[in-house]
Amino acid sequence: MKTATKRTPLNNWHRSQGANMADFGGYDMPLWYSSVKEEHLAVLTGAGIFDTSHMAAVIVDGSGAAALLQHCFTNDLDACMGPARKPLSPGRCVYGAFLDKKGQPIDDAIVFFMEADSYMVVVNAGMGGAIADHLRRNLGGREAAVTDLTDRLGKMDIQGPAAARILGRVLSDPEAVFAGMPYFSFKGHIDPTSPLADEVRLDDGTPILLSRTGYTGEFGFEIFLAPDKIQRLWERLLEAGQASGIKPCGLAARDSLRAGAVLPLSHQDIGHWPFINHPWPFALPFNADQTGFTKDFIGRAALEQHTDFSFTQAFAGRDLRKITAGEGSRVIDADGQTIGTVLTCATDMGIGRHGGEIFSVASPDKPAGFTARGLCCGFVKVNRKLSVGQHVDIADSRRKITVTIVDDVRPHRTARNPMADMI
Amino acid sequence: MKAISELKLPEDVRYTDDHEWAKKNGNVVRIGISDYAQDQLGDIVFVELPEVGSTFDKGEEFGTVESVKAVSELYMPIGGEVTAINEALADEPERVNSDPYDSGWMMEIKASDPAELEALKSKADYLEMLKG
Repeated sequence: MKTATKRTPLNNWHRSQGANMADFGGYDMPLWYSSVKEEHLAVLTGAGIFDTSHMAAVIVDGSGAAALLQHCFTNDLDACMGPARKPLSPGRCVYGAFLDKKGQPIDDAIVFFMEADSYMVVVNAGMGGAIADHLRRNLGGREAAVTDLTDRLGKMDIQGPAAARILGRVLSDPEAVFAGMPYFSFKGHIDPTSPLADEVRLDDGTPILLSRTGYTGEFGFEIFLAPDKIQRLWERLLEAGQASGIKPCGLAARDSLRAGAVLPLSHQDIGHWPFINHPWPFALPFNADQTGFTKDFIGRAALEQHTDFSFTQAFAGRDLRKITAGEGSRVIDADGQTIGTVLTCATDMGIGRHGGEIFSVASPDKPAGFTARGLCCGFVKVNRKLSVGQHVDIADSRRKITVTIVDDVRPHRTARNPMADMI
Repeated sequence: MKAISELKLPEDVRYTDDHEWAKKNGNVVRIGISDYAQDQLGDIVFVELPEVGSTFDKGEEFGTVESVKAVSELYMPIGGEVTAINEALADEPERVNSDPYDSGWMMEIKASDPAELEALKSKADYLEMLKG
C-alpha cells in the first residue's frame, strides 16, 4: 500500500522558491533552496530557519502522566537536569528515547514538562501515531490521556548565533522572554487558552511555544505554533534577519549540521539494535559511576542482560570526501578486517583541518588565512570499542577513505552559549 | 530546482543519457556535466578527475563529482585520451554549478573515434529525454 506524501503548511512556499524537494518520513520536504553550503554556513555565522512541521508532538496529560513517561522513556525525569541530576521542572525539556522490550529504539524524543501532570513529547516525522500507541499500550492502569497532535501543530526552527536577535524583532517583550532561558528550557504553550500562552507572544499577539533546543548544535530555538500562523512568522523572520544573513534551510543542511554536532538521526544512527554503547549516554538513566540505571523502564532488562553489543562511534575524515553510508558500507581495521558499517557519512562544510586540528569558520582562534573546505564526518557501528584517535578505513563500493574516531567534530558550537552573550 | 524551461542547454554541445556534455574544441573534445546534472546534484564540493595521459573507452567511468548530497560517477561521452584537466576545479569546484559549460568544464580528450561525438544527443533530443 502506498500512502500519499504529506505536505507541511509551508509546502507551497518551498515550491514557489524552487526548492529541491524530496520525500522525508512521508512528507514532501525541501532538501535545499539554492545552495546547501550557504545554508549550512548561514547557521554557523548568522541564522537559518527550518521547516520542521513534519515532526510530531504527542501530549500526555493526567495524574499518571509522569509515571507513564518514567516507565516508557529512557531518561529519568526525576534525575536528569544538570550535573546534580535534579528532577525535570516545568519549563524544562530533556532528550531520550522510547525503547521496546528488546532495548531497541522505537524513536528518540524530547519530553517537555509543560506544567503539573502535563507533558509534550516531540518525536520524528511520522512517529506520532507509533509513540502514542506505545504509550497507550503501556498505560497499565495509570491515569493518563495520550493525544497525538500529528499534523495539527506547526513547527519551525531558527538556529544560529543571530537567532535571538532576529527573533526578538518579532516578539512582544523579547527581554522578558529571553530572561532566564537556558539550553533545553522553553516558555509559552501550544494551547492559546492556557495561561502559559501569555509567556511568549509574537508582536501580533500570536502565542507560541519557544524552546531553546534544535538539531544543529548551534544556538537557537524550536518554535511551535498554530499551523495557519507559520507562514507569516516564516516570512517575517526572513525579513527581520535579512541584515544578519538569514537563510531558509533545507534538510540537507540540517543533516550536515547535525552530523558535525554529533547528533543522531533516528532510524539511521539509532535503530534496530540495543540503545547503548553510543555517543549519547546522557539519554540513558545511568547512575553516577555508569554502572547501572537509576530507574526502571521498558528495555532496561535487555540493555542490562546483553554483553555482545555493537558500539556506535563518531568519526571525522581527513578532508571533505565521503562515502555512501548504509548497507554496503564497511568499516575496516588496520588488519584489513571488516568490523562494522557506516551509519552516517556527511560533509560539514563549515569546518576543515589545519595542522591536524579541526577549526570552524566560527572558531575565534582559527589560524590566519584558514578556509573551511569541509570535512566528512558521521557515525560508524562496529563490533568492538575503538579508542578516540584510532584510525580506521571506511569504504563503499567505489571509494575507501581513512577516518579518525573522535568524541567531537565541529568545534566552537554555540548551542550552549549563555543567552546574555547572544542577545 | 530549475524547471526544464529554465535549464541552460547550449546548441553547440552534444549530450549523453548520463547528463555529461561533449564539445569539439579545435583538435580536442571538451567534457563536462549539464546544467540539469549540476542542478540535481546541488553544491558541488569536489571533482575527482583522471591524470592527463589516461585513456578511457566510451561509457567508462573517468571520475567522480561530489556534492553535499552524494558522490556520483562521471562517464566518458566518447572514448579517448585525456590531454588536459580543468585544474581550477580543485580550488573552485562550484564553477561546475555556476558555469557548467564554460569555466566549469572538466577535461579535454583526444577522441579515439570522432564519429562517436556525432552519435551523442543533440539539444533537442536531450531536452526530449528530460521531459520524459
